[in-house]
Amino acid sequence: MSKLASITLGILTAIGGFLDIGELVTGSLTGARFGMSLAWVVVLGVAAIMLYADMSGRIAAITGRAVFDIVRERLGPRAGLVNLVASFLINFLTLAAEIGGVALALDLASDVSYLLWVPLVSLLAWVVIWRLPYQAMERVYGLMGLALIVFVVALVKLHPSWSGLWHGASHPTVPTGEGHPTWFYYAIALFGAAITPYEVFFFSSGAIEEGWTRKDLAESRANILVGFPLGGALTIAWMALAAVVLQPRGISVDHLGQAGLPVAFALGKVGVAFMLVGFFAATFGAAMEVTLSSGYILGQYLGWSWGKKLRPREAPRFYAVCLLVLFGATGLVLTTIDPVKLTEYAVVLSAVALPLTYFPILVVANDRTYLGDDVNSWWMNLLGTGFLVVIVVASAAAIPLMIATKAGL
Amino acid sequence: MTMPPTIDIGRALLDRLVTDVDGRPLGRVDDIELRTPEAGGPPVIEAILCGPMALGPRLGGRVGTWWLSVGRRLRPESNPEPVRIPLALVTELRPGEVRLSISRDDAGTLQLRDWVLDKLIAPLPGSGVAT
Repeated sequence: MSKLASITLGILTAIGGFLDIGELVTGSLTGARFGMSLAWVVVLGVAAIMLYADMSGRIAAITGRAVFDIVRERLGPRAGLVNLVASFLINFLTLAAEIGGVALALDLASDVSYLLWVPLVSLLAWVVIWRLPYQAMERVYGLMGLALIVFVVALVKLHPSWSGLWHGASHPTVPTGEGHPTWFYYAIALFGAAITPYEVFFFSSGAIEEGWTRKDLAESRANILVGFPLGGALTIAWMALAAVVLQPRGISVDHLGQAGLPVAFALGKVGVAFMLVGFFAATFGAAMEVTLSSGYILGQYLGWSWGKKLRPREAPRFYAVCLLVLFGATGLVLTTIDPVKLTEYAVVLSAVALPLTYFPILVVANDRTYLGDDVNSWWMNLLGTGFLVVIVVASAAAIPLMIATKAGL
Repeated sequence: MTMPPTIDIGRALLDRLVTDVDGRPLGRVDDIELRTPEAGGPPVIEAILCGPMALGPRLGGRVGTWWLSVGRRLRPESNPEPVRIPLALVTELRPGEVRLSISRDDAGTLQLRDWVLDKLIAPLPGSGVAT
């Protein structure tokens, strides 16, 4: 049973953590505008998150230290605080975007305005965090998220030119009429969506909550090797749907409803039903993870008792932070700010803050006093350093590109 | 106590998690107190300091001042000093962790926790706290 439980941790992290509102918005948006020419970014992002999830999971299992514990320890209080504030802000924007995403999915299903759904979604999120056991939460959203396989079914049903899609993905060129800065801006958005900081916060803290030890490392690897590529494959299928249906018709994605058109076109109402269940599970699962991550990182930075395994009276500050963040993010969505735009900003800013999280992970993953013989192998360091360079470049380029392109216009 | 005669403060002590006798967290090593022996010689570590009043000065700048003033409100007015844990109470230095011989309820670092528990968490339905 515990094997099943830990594999569902992988699936939840893949569906809720990898495939969330960030991928749903950026995948479809880039597919509709740039065809398959940015699919390589998803592959790169999946590889990077797999490597860093493996390191943070290994550190958590062997030393019992979660990511922000290490950030405070290795960056010191000041740089650690800068990272805490940045990550907290990004988590906050991401949470608002996820809540907006859940509400939009319910809006599409019911034709009742998403704004009316927002308070109900937040209340449900709170009840789940407050009362539902950890593993029940994982299983429910992990399994429901599998409904997103409908993306692949829809793509097959459309009988696209597979060689054309492959050619577009393997020979990336900027489509005519689009500028290079815009193309690179959306490349950073896709990359940021793939490696959003809360994923490693949740992965490592979740591993500690589940009581992983060295024995569980093989399963952790299995989760990573199955979960993240599955999330990446679904994202690419989602992007391909937009490239096949939306791009030739010149439809741009300003709303989640437009993003869902290809599935409706290919499979009709049944397909849309599956898609909306998947949307709901992916964004709601991610909303849980982001909320918990806010409590995790603050608790770890300040040395509190933290964790959903603990009851509210055992970790009052942790639960209070989760509650306040959820409350604030709900307020932000209710200002009628556009959830799609919010998502774009959240994923681009993710890329800006990431080096301060990934660097300490890479350092501690090489510390023998912590990990003994389980330190990184040479190829992990080679890849890890390579990805860190990419992350630093993306981080430095993100804001200038955002200004130069007026955020992707 | 199994303390080595000399340690690298930055590597083995500062910013590490402080846990009590049962392994429950009670804060972080936000600063340390040093004493220079009257007879001369290198400074000796007297105590570890915890809480916002210790961390504020290390953060520095306006943020540090603000952090400090938050800490001051959490301390009794009669004792506006950071929480001080004498080094004699440290039983073990593990990687990333400083273990104490006392229970965290006696360490005096949990004022914010108790306040949050009483004012925010306990009144909520299903908090598991008898009111």
